[in-house]
Amino acid sequence: MTDLLTSEPTEESERVAGGPEGASDGEAGPLTDPALDRVAVLEALLGDPDDPANPLGLRAVLDADERGELLTAGEEALAGFGLGAEFVPVEFGGRFERADRFALLMRSLFRRDASLAIGHGVTSFIAALPVWADGSDAQRRRVAGLLRGGGRVVAAYTELDHGSDFARIALTARPAPGGGYLLDGGKQLVNNIGRAEAAVLFARTDERPCSRGHSHLLVDLGSPAVDRSARYPTSGVRGCLLGGADFTDTPVPADALLGEEGGAMETVLKVFQVTRCVLPGMVVGLGDRQLRTVLSFAGERQLYRGPVSALPLARATLTGAFVDLLICDALAMVAARTLHLAPQEASVRSAAVKYLVPKLLQDSSYRLGVLLGARSYVREGPYAGFQKTARDLPVVALAHASGAVCLSNIVPQLPRLADRAWRPAASGTRQPYDGSLFRLHDPLPALDLGRLELTARGADGLAALLPEFADDLARRGPGHSELAALAAEFTGHLADLADRAVALPPQDRTPLAGRRAFLLAERYVLLLAAAACLGVWRAAAEDPAGDPFLADPRWAGAALHRLAERLGPRRDPLPESVVDALFAELSARHEAACTFDLFRTRLATNGGPVKGVDS
Amino acid sequence: MTETTSAPAAPADGMAPQAIRAWLVDRVAYYLERNPADIDEGTQLAEMGLDSVYALTLCGDVEDRFGLVVEPTLAWDHPTIDAITAHLAAAVGGAQEGVPQ
Repeated sequence: MTDLLTSEPTEESERVAGGPEGASDGEAGPLTDPALDRVAVLEALLGDPDDPANPLGLRAVLDADERGELLTAGEEALAGFGLGAEFVPVEFGGRFERADRFALLMRSLFRRDASLAIGHGVTSFIAALPVWADGSDAQRRRVAGLLRGGGRVVAAYTELDHGSDFARIALTARPAPGGGYLLDGGKQLVNNIGRAEAAVLFARTDERPCSRGHSHLLVDLGSPAVDRSARYPTSGVRGCLLGGADFTDTPVPADALLGEEGGAMETVLKVFQVTRCVLPGMVVGLGDRQLRTVLSFAGERQLYRGPVSALPLARATLTGAFVDLLICDALAMVAARTLHLAPQEASVRSAAVKYLVPKLLQDSSYRLGVLLGARSYVREGPYAGFQKTARDLPVVALAHASGAVCLSNIVPQLPRLADRAWRPAASGTRQPYDGSLFRLHDPLPALDLGRLELTARGADGLAALLPEFADDLARRGPGHSELAALAAEFTGHLADLADRAVALPPQDRTPLAGRRAFLLAERYVLLLAAAACLGVWRAAAEDPAGDPFLADPRWAGAALHRLAERLGPRRDPLPESVVDALFAELSARHEAACTFDLFRTRLATNGGPVKGVDS
Repeated sequence: MTETTSAPAAPADGMAPQAIRAWLVDRVAYYLERNPADIDEGTQLAEMGLDSVYALTLCGDVEDRFGLVVEPTLAWDHPTIDAITAHLAAAVGGAQEGVPQ
């Protein structure tokens, strides 16, 4: 068994193939990928997290959080980096090209400070999407110029009285006598609205209860008639400036209208597919930070004559958290690539990833907190970073779309997915395998917001691959027997899900759907995650230049094992040999300051010992 | 066989507006678990609870039943059974000239 009492890197033969030193293999594809270069530049800019003298280090991040402020030095650094240009598509003069790469860039920031990641801009990215989708040339130019110049445009959707119920959003824009609109009503919990130059406002333009009753308005916030003084204190991301605005007979010009009057609901349901795909990929960075913190603790705290991490239960918890991060990243990357490669299917997949990733991370946060013990809630000392991430995560997870909202977007589509995609696949009509969704370093066609659809029309090129994955694995011989058995099991789950979905009673396909329908949607999401992991593994295994860690079937087997545990019934834990191999990989990455995701890229470090912030 | 979808019909089958309307009434009654006789063809679907993403489901049913591709927002832009019937009858009539009503 691997000797975990030493901090020396373990023998190569005992690790899952590869290891962080193999990272150059994993990066072989993207050497010429400027987006990944920018991730490295941003990481270098953020500097060593554990250096107490680093103005952007974890010490400074925690101090700012204690003050309830955004880290000023962080905002300055990001402005210098030109983060706003990352939100602007290349065609409008910015640097946004690929959804998957954008998620990776922001992941670096979430690994450091979720407040800064949200407070300095994710919301500008969200707000600008309806402008790219529907805006006039002048509106696009205005927002592109604003963001590239370091300005802000905020997404003004939320009203506390209506939550995620967009259909009942009340702020009204009624026709003004001389043209244009008069605004009446308020928005709450809008990040940065107190200091933004412009807002994309979701406003009611038709009193009737219908899905064509709302419009987007691009509004200048410079007007003194707008009261923007509200500030909502929060439990997590405490530095974020969540504010509000109140409008009373506030005039806006006719050309503030974005797209067609009444078109906002349709646009929202389309472009939020983009944000729902990329946000989870970013938040993986927060999970990475948590695991890193607890891993440090488990390596330093002595118990029973050795470090905590030598205890089998602790090691299983840490390894499980690592595998969950890999699952999250696989689903997030495949979902982000779906936006480019199969946008017509993104309505379902975006909801799936936005549901599952926060849930896995939240569950993991709880288990890691238990392992960390009292240090999980103490706000000072070497592991104080944990309690901040544990407070940030639920806010970040709920933001934009809760798990229930995401599942409710999937529920009405279940019967048709079953009928058109799952049943044919499960009964022998094999979907041809196309690895482009899973080859993480393959180029992508441009993201075309106009190709996003409100429903998938029963198409599902991901879950429907499960039978094909199982067939392929069955042919691969003894080294793959465990993964093959798991893939076959998931294929069975797909057939079962299809049967249950087509048998859903009518009300379970409406807003009155009961728990049965939501449980099916939840099971479906787990199958999507399994298919994403199998795809990422297979693409790496079939690529001569593929990352040897990702090409090893053991991580994928561990991932499917954990997903199968969620599907039930209870099963035996992972074999200890697999846990040991994955833990060795995790430890080696920790020692070498490499990410705990599918990319294992290097993190900024001054080469000091990997410890908590006070050490 | 599933009860979610009827077998796609040949385009010429059942395309009279009365047939389209009757089928839509049955479909809405099915989702709301109500008697078809209680469904008012002139009431906004949203008022009956079939709004937003749930109205999209009805469009899927229309596609499966009539072998058409329709905008998913069909029931948003034609928000009553009467309005959907008129739209579909026109769409089918345009595509199927000479089909008697």
